[in-house]
Amino acid sequence: MTFRDIPDLALADLDRDGAIREAVDRLERSSRSGFLSAAAGGMAAAMALGRPTPAAAALTRGDSAILNYALTLEYLQDAFYTEAERKGALAGPAARLTRVVGAVERAHVKALREVLGRKAVKRPFFDFRGVTEDPPSFVRTAVAFEDLGTAAYKGQAHRIESREVLAAAVGIHSVEARHAAWIRYIAGSAPAAEAFDEGTTKAETLRLVRATGFVVARPRTTVAKTPSFTG
Amino acid sequence: MAGIPGLRPVDDPASRDRFLMRAFVAGGTLLAGGALVAGLPRLAASAQSPARDAEIFNFALLLEQLQAAFYGEAAERAELDAELLGFAKVVAEHEREHVAYLQTALGSAAREEPRTDFGDATTDPEAFAAAAITLEDLAVAAYNGQAANLTKDGLRAAATVVSVHARHAAWIRSIVGMPPASQPVDQPLSQAEVAARLEESGFLQEA
Amino acid sequence: MRAPRRTRLIGAAALILAAITAAFVSVAIGGDDDDDPPASEADAAAAPALAEPPDPAFEIPPPVELGGSTHESTWAPVKRAATARSAPRLRSGAVGRLAPRTPEGTTNIVLVLDRAKDADGSLWLRVRLPVLPNNTTGWVPRSALGGYGIVRTQLVVDLGDRRATLFRNGKVVFQAVAGVGTARFPTPRGRFYVRNKLTRYRDPFYGPVAFGTSARSATLTDWPAGGFVSIHGTNRPDLLPGAVSHGCIRLPNEAIVRLARLLPIGTPLTIKA
Repeated sequence: MTFRDIPDLALADLDRDGAIREAVDRLERSSRSGFLSAAAGGMAAAMALGRPTPAAAALTRGDSAILNYALTLEYLQDAFYTEAERKGALAGPAARLTRVVGAVERAHVKALREVLGRKAVKRPFFDFRGVTEDPPSFVRTAVAFEDLGTAAYKGQAHRIESREVLAAAVGIHSVEARHAAWIRYIAGSAPAAEAFDEGTTKAETLRLVRATGFVVARPRTTVAKTPSFTG
Repeated sequence: MAGIPGLRPVDDPASRDRFLMRAFVAGGTLLAGGALVAGLPRLAASAQSPARDAEIFNFALLLEQLQAAFYGEAAERAELDAELLGFAKVVAEHEREHVAYLQTALGSAAREEPRTDFGDATTDPEAFAAAAITLEDLAVAAYNGQAANLTKDGLRAAATVVSVHARHAAWIRSIVGMPPASQPVDQPLSQAEVAARLEESGFLQEA
Repeated sequence: MRAPRRTRLIGAAALILAAITAAFVSVAIGGDDDDDPPASEADAAAAPALAEPPDPAFEIPPPVELGGSTHESTWAPVKRAATARSAPRLRSGAVGRLAPRTPEGTTNIVLVLDRAKDADGSLWLRVRLPVLPNNTTGWVPRSALGGYGIVRTQLVVDLGDRRATLFRNGKVVFQAVAGVGTARFPTPRGRFYVRNKLTRYRDPFYGPVAFGTSARSATLTDWPAGGFVSIHGTNRPDLLPGAVSHGCIRLPNEAIVRLARLLPIGTPLTIKA
């Protein structure tokens, strides 16, 4: 059985034009993208409002950080598939995957936001720069996202302190691996390239996410200023 | 050190650079002897230990051996169509690697090869797909079911394997035109539940 | 990576000790089971009993389908200055210029209406423009705009009824009397959008908060900062409802405060006669 020779996709491959580098620089300087540093630091610098849930109260600091890191990646996947579905530029198997996998990632976001309650990091703003509207770019990016999501969960499993949180996380991890194989099959790439899947560290994962330039500062549309409108 | 039968030193280059060795060996008791040790007192549910890891991985080894035999037989008989056969060959290799890995880590404590009977599931396309789906989903559920019982090192090792089974499961479903993944979460199964499904499958031969 | 030599020797010693201990344990408990093979493979699978998985800390809800997009509108920030064109290709007439910032200093945004690819496969978007003449749309390269925002709201101002209504998902969630432009300085009619929010200022003429829109006065074209129509509070609520302004839409202060909690930037604005 031969597969189309698609080289191993890394999110870093998605740096398609110089504008991405500029966006990354701006992102790193921007204090408003505290979202990524919040995810990296583990504590929600920009917290969602919400009732504290019993589940959130029971989470250790370490487990909250891990679940927020997971939520970060689920937000990314959710936004990506949701936008792709809305834009309607895909057809056939890719469109079907977008609907089905998008619905699952939205469920993952919902679950993680609920268990984290007030500790949940806020949903960031994304700029997918046309990738969700261009089928070949979409498929390449989806492969990278699903492989990365799987590797990210895998990299954290042994660090989870609560057995109950671990029990939930492993059930999501294997689903992400199914997604990864599915999109690879659509891409004509090997659904399971190796006998053993490696994990990624949080630092490496977030570095790759940053490199895409997809996470951007929320546009500033509110200002403290006296109007000079016509009145 | 070299004289202890079945025991590989932690830094034996023949062993994978892996957490599994640390999981089994680091400061804990090793299972001695060949077959599964039914005589040891049952360990408490919350007690993670290298010995418990070894029990869990011996349990996993059964599933890996079953799969290796299944895909190996399908590849050998070569009656499936090109795409299914290609799948069987790639996956057979993966499962053989899983078996080898667990056997190496368990050493002489590794369980024996099971006797298997797959009927026409290794030659008939529909039966093959159904069996592959069953076995891969079962492996995912089994590993997920034991994840919380493993030591941290054991978990790191198991995590590199379980996702490969999940990939296999979505892959075979893609080939036969089933939805490759529609559930938001994979449910774990206990050892008893896995054993029951193995029994139902009829793939394991009575002695 | 191989451990340092001293660690490996200690490790080896531990192994020897562990193996000997294990051997003793096995003998002490009774080696009968070592002699008999399992009665069946299924039995082998079943013994020894492994612990059950714990209940997961949280459940995952069922997959979440996207709702219909009937009430959805899309907006996008302007990332770089761009010429909006009459068709999705470089060699077509300009219909307006897009700047990345508004006169108020906020990020400029546009409503996104449509999409097309040119002969090179580049993506273009048709957008609603904050230019004169009012109701102008044009095509810009996708790369000129940033990430999409989605709103499910729609603001309607009825000039005849002098009323402002906000819909969310098609349902009325806000309504208030409004002051609109006089015959001399009419509020323009047509399709627009809310593009920024001004707060924390002290000018009672505009009330506590003001929303800038993409609509522009067609008569006050010399007005500084473009003469954009806005929706704001007022220090003359006694004039409402009425045709009283220079084109802006005035709401009572308590109403604009209520609206501010409900109105996301990017909301399309329809101004009806």
